[in-house]
Amino acid sequence: MITAGIDVGSLSTKSALINDANEVIAFDVVLTGGVNRAAAETTYDNVLAKAGLTRSDISYVVTTGYGRENVSFADKHVSEITCHGIGMHIMNPEIRTIIEIGGQDSKAIRIDEAGRVEHFAMNDKCAAGCGRFLEVTAKAMGIDLKELGPVSAQSQNILRISSTCTVFAETEIVSLVAEGTPIPDIVKAVHKSIATRAMSLLRQVGMTGPLGMSGGVALNSGVVRSLEESLNTKIFIADNPQVRGAIGAAYIGQRAA
Amino acid sequence: MQPETIQQQRGTQYENLLRLLGEPGSATENVSALKATRMRSILNCYRLAEAYKKGTKVAYVSEQFPTEIVFAMGAIPWNIESMAIMLAQSVDVNRIFQMTQEHELSRDICSFLRGPFGMMLAECYPSPDIVLTNDQPCEGLSKMMFMSGKRYTAPVLGLHSPNSVDDDSLNYLVKQLEQMLLRIAHEFGVELNGDSLRAAVDYSNQARAYYCKTLSLLETHRLPGVSRELQEIFGMNYFGTKENVQVCKVLYEEAVELVQGEQNSGKRVLWIGQVPEESHELLRHMREAVDIIFWAPLWEANSVMLDEAQPLRSIAERAILYHWSAGRMEKDILRICDAYGIEGFLIANVWGCRNMVGISPMLRDVATSRKLKYLTVNLDLVDRNNYAFNHVKNRVDAFLELMQ
Repeated sequence: MITAGIDVGSLSTKSALINDANEVIAFDVVLTGGVNRAAAETTYDNVLAKAGLTRSDISYVVTTGYGRENVSFADKHVSEITCHGIGMHIMNPEIRTIIEIGGQDSKAIRIDEAGRVEHFAMNDKCAAGCGRFLEVTAKAMGIDLKELGPVSAQSQNILRISSTCTVFAETEIVSLVAEGTPIPDIVKAVHKSIATRAMSLLRQVGMTGPLGMSGGVALNSGVVRSLEESLNTKIFIADNPQVRGAIGAAYIGQRAA
Repeated sequence: MQPETIQQQRGTQYENLLRLLGEPGSATENVSALKATRMRSILNCYRLAEAYKKGTKVAYVSEQFPTEIVFAMGAIPWNIESMAIMLAQSVDVNRIFQMTQEHELSRDICSFLRGPFGMMLAECYPSPDIVLTNDQPCEGLSKMMFMSGKRYTAPVLGLHSPNSVDDDSLNYLVKQLEQMLLRIAHEFGVELNGDSLRAAVDYSNQARAYYCKTLSLLETHRLPGVSRELQEIFGMNYFGTKENVQVCKVLYEEAVELVQGEQNSGKRVLWIGQVPEESHELLRHMREAVDIIFWAPLWEANSVMLDEAQPLRSIAERAILYHWSAGRMEKDILRICDAYGIEGFLIANVWGCRNMVGISPMLRDVATSRKLKYLTVNLDLVDRNNYAFNHVKNRVDAFLELMQ
């Protein structure tokens, strides 16, 4: 039996197919754009094509993410907190705490030995410290999002980005660039600010065991490094971290079908 | 302020209110089918209209003010916070909040305070003859009461309630209440009448008896709409009137009827903190999965029967019990958890409410100690500029999944 999980996020929409051995057959990522329903259709078609399957081969579809309820062909909707929890659990059953940083929110999730969510905390007043924040700050510095991690590794000085708002942070970064502050130092400071916010969330839920990270921001080695330095611990990074929610959703589909 | 001036103002204020009510805004449907709710609505409308009439004595009061005193003095209590929330269901509340910002009141301040401030700026509240306040549980509200007194040049009388329930504290508060009564009588130009206070206390106790019987039923039964109506009765705070006895009696009778056809309505979640209006999307969404009961009407202080021989002393005791003392509140929450079979907490941290922020750690500790699931949401239940349902819904959905 093959099930599909579709994670309709604010920045990107992800899909994954798994079989009854809980193996990931295929996954896909597209930009969400303005119409999240269309993005879900596109990524679903893409992932089926990658696996050489058709919709009739899929036994169950679970959607998650902000746009989960807009997907008409879904059999079930589940919050991404539950999906990331289970998605990380099936990757590494030792993990008890997860930090997930997506496009517009950050979450700390504590799970039990079966991958069930025990407690969670999320940013709620603004989206500073999330994927969109990185996107905006990268643009302000004129560098590619993918380069942020390697660039921050070159930092020589400790700098602090004081703003807590994405728009104000962009202004602050533009000023720092204009003053001639080395770009690696600014990037490192941005990563540090994200790590600080993530740590607050982790402390709210309480770290009870090995820490894992999922979500698109986990692909940024600079943020991961800053978090590891701040927490003084190793973080397990999921394979394809941005697709963990979709994989978790597909796994829930296996149990529900 | 001279009575003639007040009466002229009230005419304009009533017209302003009606105009505001007639504008396209956020009018919502009333989702409760309870008879008690309909009765209370009519009672509210009647009191509201009376307050704008010539010759009516209007006393602005803050939350949990002992209204028996107000009724005993022949005045109508105008709870500035509850009235703002009630009116927010019918008027274009955006315009009200916009007005507060134009007067440099920060959006970070609790909307339960900005609401009444805006209603006063819109000149929609009836001018008060007197302002009566207590400093607990919300000091911010107390300060706003003093500001309203200044705005309307009305005398402001404030109660300072100590934290501990002991003879010294009770005597201190009783003395304040005695002085307050004398001062109100002086301001109103009337004689202090012991009979009217006794009558108000008697009505208060009669209503309270029905209220407590309804609480007892709610402990062990799922009674749709009853917790909400108790919340409204608590918020309206008309204890001391004959009409409120009738509302509480009808609610109790309906609760008895509801016990007969009781249906399982999911796990029971205690909503802690300020409460949005009945038809709010968040409540509607949560109700599909769980049974929500509201914390404030369940407080121990609400069950205090007044001593008819020493009414001021028991009013003083109740006032102290309403104080958000962390130790007492912790015990009370634990009692509520046990008595009402609570399985989860929704802690509504209304933006800018430092009282809620102050007690939140204790609430989280209680939840942890009882192995209850809990969710803290920072939100604004009145000002739509500070709130996006989709964001809140996302975490509420995760909480509901946890509850399952």
